[in-house]
Formats: sequence, C-alpha cells, structure tokens
Amino acid sequence: MKRTLTVFSLFSVVMLGAASCKNDKNPTPDTTPKYDVPTTYNFANVDFSESTTRLGMITEMQNIMKAATVAKGTALDVAKLKSMFTNTGSPFATAAYNTAGINLKDQTAPLFQTDFNRFVDSLNTGAASGKDAAKGVAGWGVSSTNASSKFLLTAAGVNYAQVFNKAIMGGLITYQIVNNYMSAGIAESVDNSTVVAGKGTAQEHNWDLAFGYWGVPIDFPTNKTGAKLWGSYSTQVDSGYKANKLLMDAFLKGRAAIHAKDTKTKQDQATIILQAFERLTAAAALQEVKEVKESISDDIQRNSRLSECYGFIYSLKYNPKRKITDAQIDALLALFPKNFYNLTLEDVNKIRDAVAAQYDFQAVKDIL
Amino acid sequence: MRKIIITALTAVSAFFIIQSCSKSGSSPNGGGGDKGNSFDRKAMLTNWETNIILPAYTQYVSVTANLDAAVTAFNTAPDAAKLTALQTAFKSAYEQWQSASAFDFGPAETATFRANTNTFPTNVSQINNNIKDDVYNPNLLVNLSAKGFPAIDYLLFGVGADNTAVLAQYTTDALAANRKKNLAALSAELKTNAASILSAWNGAYKTTFLNADGTDVGSSTGQLVNQLIQDYENLKNQEIGIPAGIQSLGTTFPTKVQAYYSKESVKLALLHIAAVQNIYLGKSAVGDGLGLDDYLIKANATYTDGKPLNDAIKAQFTTSIAKLNVLTDPLSDNIKNNNAQVTAAYAELQKLTVLLKTDMTSKLGIAITFGDNDGD
Repeated sequence: MKRTLTVFSLFSVVMLGAASCKNDKNPTPDTTPKYDVPTTYNFANVDFSESTTRLGMITEMQNIMKAATVAKGTALDVAKLKSMFTNTGSPFATAAYNTAGINLKDQTAPLFQTDFNRFVDSLNTGAASGKDAAKGVAGWGVSSTNASSKFLLTAAGVNYAQVFNKAIMGGLITYQIVNNYMSAGIAESVDNSTVVAGKGTAQEHNWDLAFGYWGVPIDFPTNKTGAKLWGSYSTQVDSGYKANKLLMDAFLKGRAAIHAKDTKTKQDQATIILQAFERLTAAAALQEVKEVKESISDDIQRNSRLSECYGFIYSLKYNPKRKITDAQIDALLALFPKNFYNLTLEDVNKIRDAVAAQYDFQAVKDIL
Repeated sequence: MRKIIITALTAVSAFFIIQSCSKSGSSPNGGGGDKGNSFDRKAMLTNWETNIILPAYTQYVSVTANLDAAVTAFNTAPDAAKLTALQTAFKSAYEQWQSASAFDFGPAETATFRANTNTFPTNVSQINNNIKDDVYNPNLLVNLSAKGFPAIDYLLFGVGADNTAVLAQYTTDALAANRKKNLAALSAELKTNAASILSAWNGAYKTTFLNADGTDVGSSTGQLVNQLIQDYENLKNQEIGIPAGIQSLGTTFPTKVQAYYSKESVKLALLHIAAVQNIYLGKSAVGDGLGLDDYLIKANATYTDGKPLNDAIKAQFTTSIAKLNVLTDPLSDNIKNNNAQVTAAYAELQKLTVLLKTDMTSKLGIAITFGDNDGD
C-alpha cells in the first residue's frame, strides 16, 4: 500500500514537472471527443495499396535508369521510361502494376509532367554519347572511391536520374499529400460516415493513402524495415530534424481523429504533416550537402550527390502549400554553378547556409 | 528509512524533470557500464594536443617548407642533382603527412585539409590540362585530384620513364615553363595550408580543443575518434583495399595505390598505421601518455570473449602491421604478382576497423557521424 502511494506520488511529481515545461497558453475548455490514439498504424479498414503500387512503379523506373549505368555506352530505354510514367503498353515487370488501372503521371504536379520528359532526355545524353563523363562531355562515370557507383552525367555534370528521383518525391508524393490528401481529400465535404469495408470512409482512405506515400512500415519508427523514399530520408535526417516521430505521431493522431469525427485535431495534424514535408525537403537537401562534402574529392560521386541536393531544392517548386517563394527557390538554385564541375567549397557552404537560414536549421546544418 | 526512500524518490523525480525539460541532445547509445565517465578525458586531450598533434603539425610545416624551397631551387635551374634533392624532400614531406592526416577536424576540417593534401589516385589528365591551359584554380573541387602529394608524385616521378626523361619535361619540353609553374603552385599551396593550420592550432583552437572535453558529437574526443577512424578507413580502403580489387569483385587497380609513381606505398602505409596506433595509445616522443587504450581500461570495456577490449585492439594492430610488413614496394607490382598477400593484409585491417568503429565507440558512447560513402 505504502509502495503504491509513493510510486503514485512520484508519478505526480513527474507529470507536474513535465507539464511545467510547456508554454502555458490560456486554458480552454476541453471539448475534444475522447478516443485512443494507437502507437502503430493498425487501424481497421486501411488500404493504401494504391500508394504502395505507385512507389513500386517509381522503383521500376529507377531500375531502368540504373540498368543504363552498368557499362559505358549501355543504352537507356527512354521509350520504356515514358510509357512507365503513363502506364501504357504493359511496361512494368510487376504484372499487377500493368493492370492496376492507375499511373504516376495523373497524380503528379502539372510542372512535373513537363519536367519529366526533360529529365529523361537529359539523362539520355550521358548514355547516348558512349563517352566518359567529363566537364563539357556528357557520358558515363565511375566513382573514384567506390567502383560499384556508376552514373550518367550531362555535359554540365548533372545526374538526371537523381534529379528525377528527388523531383518525383516532391512532384508526386509531397504534391499529393499536401495538395490533395491533407487538404481537399479530408475536407468536411468529403464523406466521413459511409464505411467501405476494408477501405474505411472516403476521408479515412485519403488519409491512409497519404500515409502509404510516406513509405514506412505501420510500426515505424520502431521498425524501419523497407522504409523508402521519404520514409528513408526522414530517417536519414532524424539526427537533426526529428521528422520520424513528428510525422508518425501526426499520422496516427489524425487518423484516429477522423474516425472520432474530431475535425479540429484532424486539421491540426494535417497542418503539421504538410508543413513537415516542406521542412523535410530542406533537411534532405542539407543531408545531401553533407554527402557532397563526404565525397568532396570524388568528381563523379560528388556531382551525383550535388544533383540530389539540386533535385530536392528544385522539387519545392511542385509544392503548392510551400512557404518559400518562387524567387527564394530560384535564389537557392542560383547558388549552384552552371556546370557542376566548377563547384567550389565556397559554393557548397553557401548552399548549406542559405538552405539552413531559410528553414531555421542553422544549429544542425552540419549533422543532418 | 522512510526519509531515505522519499529523498531518493525526490532525487529520481528531479532527474526526470530535468530530463524532460532539457533539449533532446544526442544521448549516448544504451548499454551497461559507466563508459569510463570517471576517466580524465581532458588529460587525454592534453596529451594528444601537446605531445602528438602539435609536434606532428610543426614537423609537417617544416618539411613542406623544405619541399617548396627545393621546388624553387629546381625551377630556377633544373638539373639532375636538384631533381634528386627535390624528390628526397618530397618523400620526407609525404612521409611526415602520414602522421598529420588523422586530425581532419577543427581548423583542418574547415580547410578540407586532408582532401586538399592527399587525394589519390591523382587525375593525370586534369593535371595536364591545367598545365597545357596554364590555368590552375585551387578552389575548384575538380582540382582536388590534381593537387597535393599525389599530383606532385606524378610531376616528379611520373612524367618520364626515368630521371633523365623527367628532367627533360622541365627543360626542353614545350610545356616546361607551364609545368614548373604548376609544380610551384602545388608545393606553395601545401606549404601555405600547413602553416595556416598550425597557426590556427597555436591560436584560439588550442584551448577550444581542450575545453570541449565531453563525448558528444561536437566534443574533441568525439571529433578526433571519428576522424581517426575515417582516416584509418582511408588507409584500409584507398591505400590497400581498392587497388587490390576489394570493391570490384577482384578486378585490381594497381595504379590506384598511394604514391604510385614514387613507389613507396607500403612504406607510407606502415608509417600511417603506426601514427594511428600511437594516437590510440597516446604514445609519443615523450613516452606512453593517456590514450584511448587507457580510456577503454577505465571503462572496463570487454570484448565478446570476455577479455579486455584494449587487448583485442592492441593484438589486432600487431597482426595488421605484421601483414603489411610482408608487402613490398612497389605495391602496384605486389598486387600484380601476389595479390593474395595484399588481400590478406586487407582482411586483418578490416578486423581492426570493426574493433575500433563498432566495439570501441559503443563502449565509450561515441557516435560515428561520418557516412560510409558506399554510394546510392
């Protein structure tokens, strides 16, 4: 008995202590419906297979791009990439994708749809030349420190496979999450009472599709197995920007809120998520700056990583909910040399400092 | 009795409150032991700074100044004797660099000192383009592989089949004047960089280094251990593994060794690993001071066999050095003729990596912050 009491009082002190840390806002009467928020994304009636399928389609496109880097002069299957984008002519190795009735293009930002052809055609210059990549020469290059890292670079040293990888994360995934699933897709006009077996209500389903696009397992971040694209990057930058927990908590809380018809909490979590995806993009760009520095003397690898950084920053343009302005994005992109082979350490530091200042990452700019 | 319980609980609660209010920092990964918290890290840092780092840099400043002076003498009136003298000055500078390359944090990190000094294999076509076009911009990152010791290695030993042919490149060759100019720019850059790093250490950084005596990411111990391990991995991969075909399914790259043209790759690798070992042991000209060995002993760190981790690490240094000692210069020939010896050395070096990078850092609660550079 005495033991229970002391333990209880210990907890009270801890709780009080924890509460006292928060900024005290004016207490408002609590009208929030009561419901439990689970610790894993293990809700009833969840189906985000459409998102998973689209992530799988991206992987197959990446594989086609990678196949052209095996050896100098290997052709890039441009036609296949373009038909994969629209899912025409059964282009995928995974048969189910061909008959899924969905494609990547329809869900991408309008600007991405025109950029896509440019990315693929630019990438092809490195394959079609049959030459070794060098300044002013589009071609094929191998990392000087890791013989298994091979890339196709343009004459300006840009790896458009990586620009595509990062751009589609912004132009498809972020775009859908912020512009659709976290806004119109969960608006009050969207049905939240008719439960479709296995898929939940229309609002729930939209929320689930957003979660599926994040690309993490349902018991993330405890389990990180198979995390891909944004799920991989939110983990890579977690040392400096705690996006894993921030996003997982918000996805769980928001989904539970939709089920409990708690509109305010749902909106709050949606706002957290859509803002987090913009900051996550910046954090990922800084992570690439760090990787550029880690491969500073490896011309080919460094250019490829700089392309990743460029792709992340450029992808902010696809985000209609962004806080950064077009002029600010252009100012960041202008810090990259026109030819990546002309990069200096000063350029790298300027890119780092400008992104960190824009997104308030100064304190962690070197550890992301 | 009750009072004691309450006091204890209050203390525990207070601890939780402090924890919950503090900004989340990088907490050392879990695991038992006190991670040697009672160890006098500041004394270890002092030993490193006073007896190892500053002497290494001071000596390095002197040898790079000698090298630059030898280049000036050679360029003024190139002849066979001055070429030989210059080659000797080059070798002793490159040898001394092996003791200075591990400290790529603080002033050296800001200056990307290691990459500016020793990026190899050197890019011969980039060097020759710089000479042909008579342009050399030290700030361009593409020139990292066209500067430093590896580039000078090529310019002094690789531009001709023997010294007569090398000399001709600086006397009768059409580009002789440009080549001398490039050589002078590269040796001057080594000298200037060395002097500026030493002066930063002799200035404010001297105390900065000693005062950051924690174990977090930004601490001096954290930074030095990270750079020591990264530098050691460069030794293992760049100097031995990659040329021996470790990353390329056995396809060897003999020309990718360190000091390919001056043919003292094994000698340099032995000096390099000895330098790493001395930093680990805290050993210097003045004796065996505090190092990571003492830190591990204080932390009661044990290896998987239950024996002290320090013993396992020391034994693995000995085994690795023994395997390197079997190799002969030119290492590029050793790779061509008996690569099994080289890959055997690599295998032992790899075991030491695991001991240092995984076992040691986890026992001391030091986070590894550099990437594996394994491509993606």
